[in-house]
Amino acid sequence: MQRLFRAVKIMNPGSEWHGQTVDIRVTDGILAEIGSGLSLDGAEEIHLPKASVSTGWIDLEATGGDPGFEHREDIASLTKAAAAGGFTKVGLRPETQPVIHDKSGVSYLLQQSRFAPVDLLPIGAVSKNLAGAEITEMLDMRAAGAVAFSDGSHSIQHAGLLLRALLYAKTFDGLIMNQPQEATIAGKGQLHEGIVSTMLGMRGIPSLAEELMIERDLRLLEYTDSRLHLSHVSTANGVEKIREAKAQGLRVTASVAALNLLLTVKDVESFDSHCKVLPPLREESDRQALLEGLKDGTIDCISSNHTPLELETKHLEFAYADFGAATISTAFATARKGVGDFLTEEELIAKFTSGPRDIFQLESSSIAVGEYAQLTFYQYDKNWSVALQDIHSRSKNSPLIGTELSGCPLGILNGDQFVTSK
Amino acid sequence: MATIQQLSTRHVLGIKYLTAADIELIFQTAEEFKEVINRPIKKVPSLRDITVANLFFENSTRTRISFELAEKRLSADVVNFSASSSSVKKGETLLDTVNNILSMKVDMVVMRHPAPGAHHFLSQHINANIVNAGDGTHEHPTQALLDAFSMREQLGDLAGKKIAIIGDILHSRVALSNIFCLLKIGAKVRVCGPPTLIPKYIKDLGVEVSYDIRDTLHWCDVANILRIQLERQELKFFPSLREYAQHFGVTKALLDELDHPIVIMHPGPINRGVEITSEVADSDHSIILQQVENGVAVRMAILYLLAATR
Repeated sequence: MQRLFRAVKIMNPGSEWHGQTVDIRVTDGILAEIGSGLSLDGAEEIHLPKASVSTGWIDLEATGGDPGFEHREDIASLTKAAAAGGFTKVGLRPETQPVIHDKSGVSYLLQQSRFAPVDLLPIGAVSKNLAGAEITEMLDMRAAGAVAFSDGSHSIQHAGLLLRALLYAKTFDGLIMNQPQEATIAGKGQLHEGIVSTMLGMRGIPSLAEELMIERDLRLLEYTDSRLHLSHVSTANGVEKIREAKAQGLRVTASVAALNLLLTVKDVESFDSHCKVLPPLREESDRQALLEGLKDGTIDCISSNHTPLELETKHLEFAYADFGAATISTAFATARKGVGDFLTEEELIAKFTSGPRDIFQLESSSIAVGEYAQLTFYQYDKNWSVALQDIHSRSKNSPLIGTELSGCPLGILNGDQFVTSK
Repeated sequence: MATIQQLSTRHVLGIKYLTAADIELIFQTAEEFKEVINRPIKKVPSLRDITVANLFFENSTRTRISFELAEKRLSADVVNFSASSSSVKKGETLLDTVNNILSMKVDMVVMRHPAPGAHHFLSQHINANIVNAGDGTHEHPTQALLDAFSMREQLGDLAGKKIAIIGDILHSRVALSNIFCLLKIGAKVRVCGPPTLIPKYIKDLGVEVSYDIRDTLHWCDVANILRIQLERQELKFFPSLREYAQHFGVTKALLDELDHPIVIMHPGPINRGVEITSEVADSDHSIILQQVENGVAVRMAILYLLAATR
């Protein structure tokens, strides 16, 4: 199988072709030839107007539904939605039923997805059944293919558990991930605590709930000298704590959810339950701090935080609706719109490529002859309005329907599989 | 009736969504209805052929009766529905319940619901006029309007008047609606209570915050004392009712210290001996029962004005 991609601009700082608009020939899943005016030689010719190409994007954390919640998302629908979003690899959170907390769960995901156009990277649970009490068989899961360990949206409340997990993971230089939210401070909060929650008469989730847990986690990290990823940081003070910890030399990384780069708590004012997400949408000042954190490297990557939910759990009074939004197909465009020109194209693409790759310690890849072809094609400046059919997930719980975004994935190539986004 | 002026909205979802002109129009109309309900024949035909559904997903006695009386005195056809909040969560969704009732050709919905924003959600999906009779800890606009109407009867124009809202601000929809309403008509507002019952960002609404009941009573022209909402407190926000009554309860001894007149209000139901002593509740300062009477007139005005937007 031969494909010839015509006139694509290469966005890959490690490549000798970086910044150049060239043709790329892919033969049997390998980058066979790169250059200008390549001859067709029987290849399938593909024209993607105004396209840039980078190494394949990696979504650090998304939630699926298989097993247990297939009505929300199964592996086929998730990988299709991820491909439409430009991702060639997706870190998959363990929040399924049963929970992915042993090697059979990890093996199941890898086996079920082996022919999919997108590689799944299973993230095993830190605690059995996400109950926050006992650590899981991480060594087994690691051997079966788990890339990291997290309790997903269930923040790890038990400091002793996190301490033991951080220590245990040192056996294999493993990565523990935690989405910081202190439960007794967050209480039954429904949205970010501030003037909007006060006006709406709803209990808020104080920024303090995140800040306190970040401080605790960093102390535990310092004590254990292990490796920790803080998922979906949303507060200005949280970013600052991580900045200081990195300066101090701790092995901490951080990510931000794409939605938190675009929307703020102001978007919740109309009681739109689609804007009910975790971490909550916060103030404009927090959003600005997140952008600064991306710019200076405090925040290593942008993740979709994809959380598919069926209509019945969202089309409700705000207080009764579940937390989460289906975001995997729109994550890049959301981030691109939120970031504007504050980051360069090269910087933003790095948050979807080298950023997550380094967090998961995946093999380095570049756009060079002889490399395995794992590429994402996109238009960086295209403005477009989100329609329902652009949410490729089985669940359509997106707060962005009708919103104008910019930047648009055009398709992915994963070895021999080429999938266009529309 | 005077020439019909219209409200700027088809629904009364909250004071937040009303203009100062809307509030003034409601007051003027309520004055006329107050005169009507003190006549020997209390009924007028204004809402004849209009069907109003009172949907109470949360317990209520006085608000439900007040609305029902208002509707009947306007000659509306009235249907009542009560359900515990949990039955809705267990089975039928709010939207299904309401749509079922609306398919029986109901024109207006008066609803109390435990979820903040439930009326807002409903207004996006149904065609009837909606009146919020309380949505969780969000708003209770008709209570705020009758409170302000009652204050106005006592003090005249409320611009510049000092109104204290005392007690459990955190769990109170009455507090929030009162604040929005009083600020819109130019009054000065202070909230007072233990810090655990005062939302951190309430100052940003433009109100003063005090933790000192004595100082607050000296400051204000009107003290609107709120009920301790024990049923909404999943956590202990203060250690005991005894200590609350001692440090934040309004007593005769405190009022006796004052060198200026004060109006005492309470939206009910009263926890006698907790937030307010019986002596105070039954004193000449108190207009608690006038509030109840005005409630009917204000609700008549709101229903009448909403019907005019149909």
